[in-house]
This record gives sequence, structure tokens and C-alpha cells, in this order.
Amino acid sequence: MTGWHLDDDIVRRYAEGTDSLTEGASIEQHLLSCGPCRARVNAAASVTELSVIDLAAVWDRTRDTIEVPRPSGFERLLRAAGLPAHEARLVAVASAFRSAWLTGVAAILAFATLAAAVGHAHGLWLFLAVAPIMPCLVVASSYDPWLDPALAPELVTPYPALRLVLLRTIAVLALALPVVLVLGLAIPGQTAFAWLLPAVGFVAVVLAASTWFSPLRSAIAVSSAWLAVVWLLAARSGSPDTMLQTRAQVGFLVLAVASFVIFLVRRQRLRQLRPWR
Amino acid sequence: MDSGVDDETLLFAVAERDMGAFRVLYDRHAGWLAIRLARRCNDPDLVADAIQDTFVAVWQRPQGFRGDGDIAAWLWGIAIRRLVSRLRTRSSIAVFEHAGTAPAAEDQVLLSVEYGDIGQALARLSPEMRAVIQAVVLDGLSAREAARLLNVPVSSVKTRLYRAKARLRAVLAEEPS
Repeated sequence: MTGWHLDDDIVRRYAEGTDSLTEGASIEQHLLSCGPCRARVNAAASVTELSVIDLAAVWDRTRDTIEVPRPSGFERLLRAAGLPAHEARLVAVASAFRSAWLTGVAAILAFATLAAAVGHAHGLWLFLAVAPIMPCLVVASSYDPWLDPALAPELVTPYPALRLVLLRTIAVLALALPVVLVLGLAIPGQTAFAWLLPAVGFVAVVLAASTWFSPLRSAIAVSSAWLAVVWLLAARSGSPDTMLQTRAQVGFLVLAVASFVIFLVRRQRLRQLRPWR
Repeated sequence: MDSGVDDETLLFAVAERDMGAFRVLYDRHAGWLAIRLARRCNDPDLVADAIQDTFVAVWQRPQGFRGDGDIAAWLWGIAIRRLVSRLRTRSSIAVFEHAGTAPAAEDQVLLSVEYGDIGQALARLSPEMRAVIQAVVLDGLSAREAARLLNVPVSSVKTRLYRAKARLRAVLAEEPS
């Protein structure tokens, strides 16, 4: 620039911080535009008595950081919600949260909603049959070790299984319920909300049943039972309003609370997940 | 260490996910950036974290460099801000340390080349004012960032900056070059 460059003394004073402010300011201004002088200060950073940090160690850390895949959008959402990084990873790693899975579930629900909005009675029955069992199926798949190989080593570690299962359940419900609610708005009448309590009830039943059987088997059993009940009701009365009756809704509420209590009482059994399959 | 390739070519290769080029860029710049950061923060761990954050940011967004000016200046802009944000997330106090000695005779010559009388005028400021001038004027930080770096309220940065400028103006006016 000006023909002026740093000599060894200046470099040393600068690296040691024993120069004056004004000299330092001149040096720093010069460094930004002079490659050769920058290289000399840079070289000083590797001289043992002048070095301020372990540059090789920092390089290793930097490389490790960039080689770790960036967290998914869902994981970042969980972290934003206040979950510590390692727990967010544990929750988000479930195969139930892969976008392919979620897209499939959303597509099935959208189809059922469409049928209900267009096809009246039959369509409504289809919606009532499908919507309540979707959340419990997704919850079950979110912690079933058969679907989620990543879970196996995690459960060997002393991480509390109960906490993991509950966190994933809450994550599923937080993801699924708004979607289904929005879809339900497309359906005429109050039927849209009739499935909410059964959905929560079935999730609780699956949680409770998974202290005996594998979560996926529990969810399939619950879903089959529900489909049979819906089919019987549809064949006999023909009106989906049955579901809206207070008695039925209270029944589902009781089912939800009772199952959840059973789940909490038997939660120790969750630790013995090993022999599932 | 220097392979003769210029920084822009390296950065272009980094955008193409070339780890070798990234390593060369790191070797070429991490050292002087660390020395410069260490002059503003006496905690080596924080400096190391800031250097790591800087190069992670470069790897993730090399296109942040728009091709204007020097890559060194761009890197410094990232590094000083990463240091400031590290200070924000930690409770440890980093002290702005500087040997506030008056420049030696031979430095005066050097300074008059770069800054003229401003060098002497700066030397007559109080250490607090000099620190603010350095952070805001020379490092290009905002008042908020400077406040974080110097661990003082934003309002103090603003008043000190105002007073420092007034002092400099007065000193320069009474000693016409």
C-alpha cells in the first residue's frame, strides 16, 4: 500500500500485545489489505511463546462441527421450544418424524376429509374411522424399536424410557392435532371434532398397552377394534351422530384418563422393552 | 502453508464443499484472527470458540462474501461479531486489555505515516475512551456490540464515544499539522 510493512519487532509486539493502541490500529488497518504482512502475523500465531490458542485443536473442533449433519427443521423447532439439544435429537430421530411418514399420514387424512366433505354419510363414517386412530398409530411408530432401530442403543443407556416415550407422544400430538383440526374444518357440522377425544383416548390406551405388548402391536389391535366398532355402528344405526352423544364422549374421556393412569402405574415395565418383537 | 492460490479462489472451492481448500483458508487466516481477537478478549477459550464459530459460519455460508473488498476484512467482520455473541451467551467477563502506554519515539514516525497527529491525539485519551474508539471506529462495531465487548452499558458507549470525538476534535484543532 504505502510501501510500509511490518518488521519482525512490530509483529512480535503486536502478537504479545505490548504495542501501543495507535501502533496496533495502524497494524490492523494494514493487515486487512496486505497479504504478505498478514502471513507473517499468522505465522507468529504458531510460534509457541506467541500463540494465543491451540489452532490445531480448534481446527479439529471446527471440522467435527461441520461434518455433523445439520439438525432437521423439526429438531430445531423442538430446541426452540426449550428442549435441550440431546433430547431434541432423541425425540426427532424417531422414524415417525421422517417427512415421508408424515406426508403419508397427512395424505390419508386429507383423503378421508375429502370423502367426508363430498360424500356425506359414508364419507363421514370413513373420516370417523380413520382420524381417531391416526395419532395412536404415529405415536406407536415413534417409539416402537422394530420401526426405530435408533432406539435400541438409546434404551440401553440409562435414559429414562418414560420420558422419551412421553416426549415423543407430545411431539406427535403437537404435530398431528393441528393438521387434523384444520382438515376437520372442511367437514360440515360438529362431526369434525367428534374424533378428538377418541384419538386422545386411543393414544393413552396404546401407551398403557405397550407396558405389556409392543407399541405397534397395541396400536394395530386398538385400530382394528375401533374399525370393527365403527363398521358395526354404521351397519346398524347409519347415523354418525351417535359419536357426538355426550355419553360416548364421556366414555372416551374416562378411557383416556384410566389408560393414562395404568400407563403411569406400570411405567417401570417400559424399561424392560428388550424382549419386544 | 501458503499454496499460492488467492483467497477468492479458495472461497469458491469451499462453496463447492472442498475440505482441502477450507483447510488452506483456515491455516492462512485463523492465526492472525486469533491474535487480533486475543487483543480484545483475555479469555483464550472464548477466542478459540469465536474462531471455531467463524470458520463454521464460513463453511455454511461462503456466499456471504459478496466479492467487495478483501476476504480478510470479511473474515474479521465475522470473527469480531462471533466473539461478541459468544460473550452474550456466557456470563464470564472478558476484559478489554491493552497496554495503554504512550507510543515510543520510533512508533511516532510510523504513526504519522498512517494517521498523522491522530495517533498522538488518541494516546492522550483515557483508556476507557480509547477502548470505545477502537471498538466502534476501528473495529466497526455497533454501539450495542461494543457495549457487549467492553462489558459496559450501551449508554456509556455512546457518551464515551461522543466525548472521545469531542476531545479528538479539540486536540487536533489546537495542534494544527
